Amino acid sequence: MRTALSWPELSRSLADLRHLLWFRAATVRRPRAVVLALAALTGVTVAAATLPAAAPSPAELDGWVRPALAAIVVAAVGAAVAAGGGRELLARDPAAVHPIAPVTDHLGALVLAPLSAGWLIQAWALLALAAASAGPAAQPVALAWLLAVTALAQAVGWAAEWLRRRRLPAGLALPLAGAGLAPTAPVAAVLVDGSAAGRGLTAAALLLAAGVLAALGGILAVAAARRAPRDEVRRETRLHPARPTPASDLAMVRRIDRASVWRSVPLRRGSLFLGVAPGAAALAGGLDWSMLVLVPGLVASGCVLLFGVNLWCLDGRGLLWRESLPVPPRTVVAARVWVLAEVLLGGGLLTLVLGSLRAGRPTGPEALAVVLALAAVVGQAVSAALRWSAAHPHAVDLRSARATPAPPLAMVGYSIRLAVATTLTGLLLGGLCVAGRVDLLLAAAAVLLTVSAVRIVRAARRWADPVRRAAVVAVVAA
Amino acid sequence: MSSGGVEVTGLRVRFGPVEAVAGVDLRVEPGQALALLGRNGAGKSTTMRVLAGVVPPSAGTARVAGYDVRAAPLEAKRMVGYCPDVGGLVPRATPWEHLQLSARLRRLTGWEERGRLLLEQLDLGGVAHRVTAGFSHGMSRRLSVVLAALHEPAVLLLDEPFDGVDPIGVEATFGVIEDARARGAAVLVSTHLRDLAVQVCAEVAVLRGGTRTATVPAGFMSGDEGARAYRALLA
Repeated sequence: MRTALSWPELSRSLADLRHLLWFRAATVRRPRAVVLALAALTGVTVAAATLPAAAPSPAELDGWVRPALAAIVVAAVGAAVAAGGGRELLARDPAAVHPIAPVTDHLGALVLAPLSAGWLIQAWALLALAAASAGPAAQPVALAWLLAVTALAQAVGWAAEWLRRRRLPAGLALPLAGAGLAPTAPVAAVLVDGSAAGRGLTAAALLLAAGVLAALGGILAVAAARRAPRDEVRRETRLHPARPTPASDLAMVRRIDRASVWRSVPLRRGSLFLGVAPGAAALAGGLDWSMLVLVPGLVASGCVLLFGVNLWCLDGRGLLWRESLPVPPRTVVAARVWVLAEVLLGGGLLTLVLGSLRAGRPTGPEALAVVLALAAVVGQAVSAALRWSAAHPHAVDLRSARATPAPPLAMVGYSIRLAVATTLTGLLLGGLCVAGRVDLLLAAAAVLLTVSAVRIVRAARRWADPVRRAAVVAVVAA
Repeated sequence: MSSGGVEVTGLRVRFGPVEAVAGVDLRVEPGQALALLGRNGAGKSTTMRVLAGVVPPSAGTARVAGYDVRAAPLEAKRMVGYCPDVGGLVPRATPWEHLQLSARLRRLTGWEERGRLLLEQLDLGGVAHRVTAGFSHGMSRRLSVVLAALHEPAVLLLDEPFDGVDPIGVEATFGVIEDARARGAAVLVSTHLRDLAVQVCAEVAVLRGGTRTATVPAGFMSGDEGARAYRALLA
């Protein structure tokens, strides 16, 4: 008898995975850009794994290896649990007509897992640390760790989804992440000081664990697929009693846009996760205010990826009808900007509140730097979101908890560009605060906010052009 | 400025190298219902989108209720009720919120009773406060017709309103079209369902390859003879 993980089924799932990857590659809109992006990612990975070995490194770097191993576990598991089983190779609706097995779906999510800025940045950091503290010989252990942790995260993600679909708290699956946190100490020791044989054995053991965890993930994916996605069904069948009609066009449009965000499972779950997780990490790490100034940038660049990079997809095919309504385009843009800014500010503030619990009382300049950093990164994220949404729209249904507003590689590009810009902003404002130059701090923030405001106004003007708008509508409502 | 209805002259719409509409002329008088028929890609939906103000014309003119859709887009949109051919609904808003949005942006007062009646008429009263993401195709079509008709527009544009709709829903949609025509609205119905189109419209225009090939009384397109005539026009 064939079972979900019998060899014939596994073989078929691997063949289907190959077909789906081919389909994704064949339907890429800008193949040259994809090739360049993949080459760039490979180049950065090779550089991270080799270049630090050539430079002298302080001995305290060795102590950072274990936290780096643990950070990858936390980030990968968190992302997989929030995404309800990871990314989809094919979106749910178009995939529904094809006989795609849950194991194929699981393998696809495993393949796509590294295509996220969170995973990549953590992986580059680990490879660089390994190279700096132990040289290239330690890299097989680091790479095997990345594979094992990715498989573990995917399995925990499916376990969480299975629990959700059985009406149990998804958080009950989180202790499984302990299987990744427990071996960090011995793996770090082998990675830093191990012999060649020890490293070889550790890498082999980790690869074996990756295989076992990938198989376990397949079993959990099959179990989860037997039940309907409960969160989505609950949101779609819930009653929303009528409220009085708002007094202005902007308020009415904003209400619909807010509903589109907070009634979407992935957006609601992602916003809460991105608000709480970095704050909890800051709280656990006991970050001081000079470090907290960097946190809003990370939150903003994460939150904007939930829907900001493809703002008009919130309306789905309804954008066609909304475009026929008699409302000035600037009102529509203002409402969308307002709602996005709300999500970014809310996430940033929640993180800062959590982080501040152990950071002590800030000095005046520190408080000012944090507030200005939050405002500046929100401005940067909003202006980028408006520009990218108009330039590269995608037809996406954000109904599924696993949906993302753009293809995986595009998401990596967006997140890295934003993370770099917002981190530099945080470093600049934090540095000026530490230097005690409040005057320059205010001036720098004013410049950054002005640049963002100008870009937002320009993007709104471009949206007023009916030809540009029609092109976006045609894609989003396709 | 013309008195009302729909007036399309030499309409052309290009999407890059593709010419979706290649010189369409149409006229729908107030109180008249005209059906747009044609094969896939004939330019029906694009013509409807131009009249709804969603797609700007590349050349030619399109006027609704006397307003040029290019020169006075907001005024034109106020006069039009549009049921798009696909989707047309914001997935995570309820039918009632859709009605509120349309009413607010058109400055309607006392619209609630008509909104409730239309929802009941199209058998959507029981789902007025649920998000539309879980709606069937037929329910979505019916709600799009309600949204197009709420403000009693001077020009009613219905693109594939019968697609996937059950016979009761089709009858209710007929009622909406009849009501609109009776109060003097110009109605344009784009559909692939010829037999339904000839029941509810007085005239039929056939588009082919982005141009209008014929406009004939609906009677010429009904029955087996009409089917043969229609096929001949499509060939």
